[in-house]
Amino acid sequence: MPLEVLLVEDSGGDVRLTQEAFHAVNPAVRLHVANDGIEALTFLRHEGVFVDVPRPDLTLLDLNMPRMDGREVLALIKNDASLKTIPVVILTTSDADGDIAKSYQLHANCYLRTPVQLNAFESLVKSINDFWLTKATLPQIQ
Amino acid sequence: MYAHDYTDGGNDMPLEVLLVEDSPGDVRLTQEAFRAANLSVHLHVANDGVEAMAFLRREGVHANAPRPDLTLLDLNMPRMDGREVLAQIKKDDRLKTIPIAILTTSESEADVAKSYELHANCYLCKPVQLAAFESLVKSVNDFWLTKARLPQAQ
Amino acid sequence: MKTTSRLNRKVQLESYRGLLEAAPDAMVVVNVGGDIVLLNVQAEKQFGYRRDELVGQKVKNIIPEGFAERIIADGTRSAAEALAQQIGTGIELIGRRKDGSEFPIEIMLSPLESTEGILVTAAIRDISTRKGAEIHLAQMEGRYRGLLEAAPDAMVVVNVAGEIVLLNVQAEKQFGYRRDELVGQKVKNIIPEGFAERIIADGTRSAAEALAQQIGAGIELIGRRKDGSEFPIEIMLSPLESPEGILVTAAIRDISTRKGAETHLAQMEGRYRGLLEAAPDAMVVVNVGGEIVLLNVQAEKKFGYSRHELVGQQVKNIIPEGFAERIIADGTRSAAEALAQQIGTGIELIGRRKDGSEFPIEIMLSPLESPEGILVTAAIRDISTRKGAEIHLAQMEGRYRGLLEAAPDAMVVVNVAGEIVLLNVRAEKEFGYRRDELVGQQVKNIIPEGFAERIISDGTRSAEDALAQQIGTGIELIGRRKDGSEFPIEIMLSPLESADGILVTAAIRNISVRKLAEANLVRKLDELYRSNEELGQFAYIASHDLQEPLRMVASYTQLLSRKYKGKLDTEADEYIAFAVDGANRMQRLIQDLLAFSRVGTKGKDLVDTSSEAALLQALQNLRGAITESGAQVTHDPMPAVLADEMQLTQLFQNIIGNAIKYQKPGIPQVHISAARNGGDKWMFSVKDNGLGIDPQYFDKIFGMFQRLHKREEFAGTGIGLAICKKIAERHGCSILVESTLGQGSTFRFALAGSERKSYIPADTPTEEAVCL
Repeated sequence: MPLEVLLVEDSGGDVRLTQEAFHAVNPAVRLHVANDGIEALTFLRHEGVFVDVPRPDLTLLDLNMPRMDGREVLALIKNDASLKTIPVVILTTSDADGDIAKSYQLHANCYLRTPVQLNAFESLVKSINDFWLTKATLPQIQ
Repeated sequence: MYAHDYTDGGNDMPLEVLLVEDSPGDVRLTQEAFRAANLSVHLHVANDGVEAMAFLRREGVHANAPRPDLTLLDLNMPRMDGREVLAQIKKDDRLKTIPIAILTTSESEADVAKSYELHANCYLCKPVQLAAFESLVKSVNDFWLTKARLPQAQ
Repeated sequence: MKTTSRLNRKVQLESYRGLLEAAPDAMVVVNVGGDIVLLNVQAEKQFGYRRDELVGQKVKNIIPEGFAERIIADGTRSAAEALAQQIGTGIELIGRRKDGSEFPIEIMLSPLESTEGILVTAAIRDISTRKGAEIHLAQMEGRYRGLLEAAPDAMVVVNVAGEIVLLNVQAEKQFGYRRDELVGQKVKNIIPEGFAERIIADGTRSAAEALAQQIGAGIELIGRRKDGSEFPIEIMLSPLESPEGILVTAAIRDISTRKGAETHLAQMEGRYRGLLEAAPDAMVVVNVGGEIVLLNVQAEKKFGYSRHELVGQQVKNIIPEGFAERIIADGTRSAAEALAQQIGTGIELIGRRKDGSEFPIEIMLSPLESPEGILVTAAIRDISTRKGAEIHLAQMEGRYRGLLEAAPDAMVVVNVAGEIVLLNVRAEKEFGYRRDELVGQQVKNIIPEGFAERIISDGTRSAEDALAQQIGTGIELIGRRKDGSEFPIEIMLSPLESADGILVTAAIRNISVRKLAEANLVRKLDELYRSNEELGQFAYIASHDLQEPLRMVASYTQLLSRKYKGKLDTEADEYIAFAVDGANRMQRLIQDLLAFSRVGTKGKDLVDTSSEAALLQALQNLRGAITESGAQVTHDPMPAVLADEMQLTQLFQNIIGNAIKYQKPGIPQVHISAARNGGDKWMFSVKDNGLGIDPQYFDKIFGMFQRLHKREEFAGTGIGLAICKKIAERHGCSILVESTLGQGSTFRFALAGSERKSYIPADTPTEEAVCL
């Protein structure tokens, strides 16, 4: 069973880095990309061009994005009965305590700060893969 | 080693982990596994849901209990089981941000779905093999206690 | 000269006195001074004076106004002139008696030359009565006018000259004129013909004669409105005597609607006559006296008469019995009553032709109101053929009855009302009734539910419709015996057209035995299902609950092993090693048992699945083992099948996993293919070049925890193929193996293809089916 991961990230550079890291760590992972909150929600709701997309096993969510930012997306996902069980990992450059606290309050499954160093980033992706995609038990696709 | 030792130990910020588990054998295994993974972890133990809530709310003998950075929560326990504990914690505004990892032998899809619905941060099935269990604890330590950003104590 | 004339005149006056006395009217002679010089006894009486009280008095005393002035005036004119002016014309004035009371008079003047000068003789007539009459008349006129206005009809009063003297507001409205436009006009203007002539005629006859002729009789004429439009009217005349002569009062009624109705009726009559002629059946119209008043050409033909031979004849001549009586009877009842009794019901009678031959007829009566009274229309149909058919049918019925008796099943024939009309001896036996106890009874008595309703509904549909719906399908219901006991039945319906309408034949079969067998089967299946469930649950609980203590044993023995390895003696190490090994194996067994039980409990429905996708997933899961062993795995294109995808993946995985595992030295080669197998099934084959299997073990290897090798040689619990077998069975097929020791094995299983068109390999050889 391929693992479906949704990456919600507006920076093209970060997207590419993430793709490379996941590919190196676990080629069985299928990484989908949404560039902002609205696209992310459309993806998750199977609307528009995303009618046939799979439900993600895990969502990596950036906070600061145009149109609709990650906080809003997080709130919407965790309040939607059909989407709330999807694990959402905040993956952002922000280290602000406020952002961290707010994210956990909104029921983000966890919060990760994107490391600046490439090695550290790859290591982080490895850890994500190891914990979330190998060890943890994820909710079944409904 | 056991709970109730709340003194701040050493220069490293200790990581406070609450283990809610009724099987003493599993408690010991977990302790050993954490010791092997990360010496900075203070593992606190509650044997059932009632004790867990008292610990988290700092009631009675747990008046000075620290706020856990992470809680490992078994599901099937006497008196008050993990499902109820999870529901109560995530409803309590002062406690809801504490990351809760369900750690249980149950592989039931219903249990998994329900836990995520109740906003458990993640769900872990206890592997039957010792090596696998130790690996799991290592992974938990690696992800949650070294990489993830946790909410500050309030 | 003068003397002679004076004498003459004087003498004239004397003789004039005599005339005066003799006159019937009061006479008074007055001189130019207005004095009364002479009067007669009538005048004395009229005015209540004695002569000597009046002579020499002013005439004003008795005629206060209007006379004296004229006289004096007369005085200035000559006698000849006065004559020309006054003679003959009555002047109405007021007279005053001695007692002061006044009374209306009419005076007629005539001049008289006398020796004393011009005298005026006034004949004075008391016109009290006439005045009274005039007032009365005026009152009457007023009252009459009032009546006229109030009359609902248009009223026009016409004089002998044909002129309209009076009319009321209704007349104004009817004819569209204003009153003043009509008064004085010729009545011909509003009634062009037929009235004026009568009126003038009336004038020549006396009022009494006219009365006798016209009174009360409505005369139909045509009225003309102001705008020129005409309309039919009916006038009623009555004469009226008036001072002006005879007047005729005409009450004029607009009879447009009545005329319209009459025209309509005439049309209807014409149409009716037309219908009568066009009717396919013989139609005869008879009056309450039993006489034929009307008939059509069909009737002529049917009875062999020509029309005039029948009209006016008694209907008994053509229908000897049963009709006339009804008709006459009908005549005494109202049309409504007759309608209620006879309408729509065909009455079978005998008709008699002119030549005396008789034939069966069916008549349908309907009443008809006419100006001549109630008539009865009879539609007469010759039912000779039908009667013949009925006899034929009765014969057929007899034959049918025979068939019914001979039938093996209980047969019951039911009518649209749900009543049993016929049954056979088997039905008697099945239901425990005697025939006569059931015939006429509601079928509900023997089949309480589900049958009568179908029948009654059948009645509203045509035989064809019912046929289409019920025929051939066995309907399961409950039958009830006479003793009240019930038993399961299956009925098969077929419709039957009969003279009495649609009947339904039900073949009733007692299916108690079959139902019992079915119940047994269902119960057994239930048990099986339940035990399966229990088994699944048991397996799950067992494996789950067993895991817990097992985990403790396994984990702690391992910890023990780690901690004390090398710290205890070798024996202790061995003991620990065995303990750990045992625990681990136990864990794996339990895992496998769990996996095995899950095949049943967690199995999903079989749906359209790509077997290729399942195969590729299995290969993906085995990629580690494949890479490690260097195995070459190939496959043909795979079809779409009905399967549980996860289980199919498991199936492929276990077999291919085995194929890779149980290898002899060299490169393992595994090939997977699929071939059409008998209709819509696909036979899958997994062929390897491994160790092969001894034929004596072909069955054993599919048993639970059965192994052919030592643990040291090959790992495994021996559950893999048991799981495969269970999966295959769940998909409706078995799994079997062909093998040659040392060369390899081929495992085969079959799956049902799904509807979707999928790739069919070219040159597909059909292989024997492995399953039913």
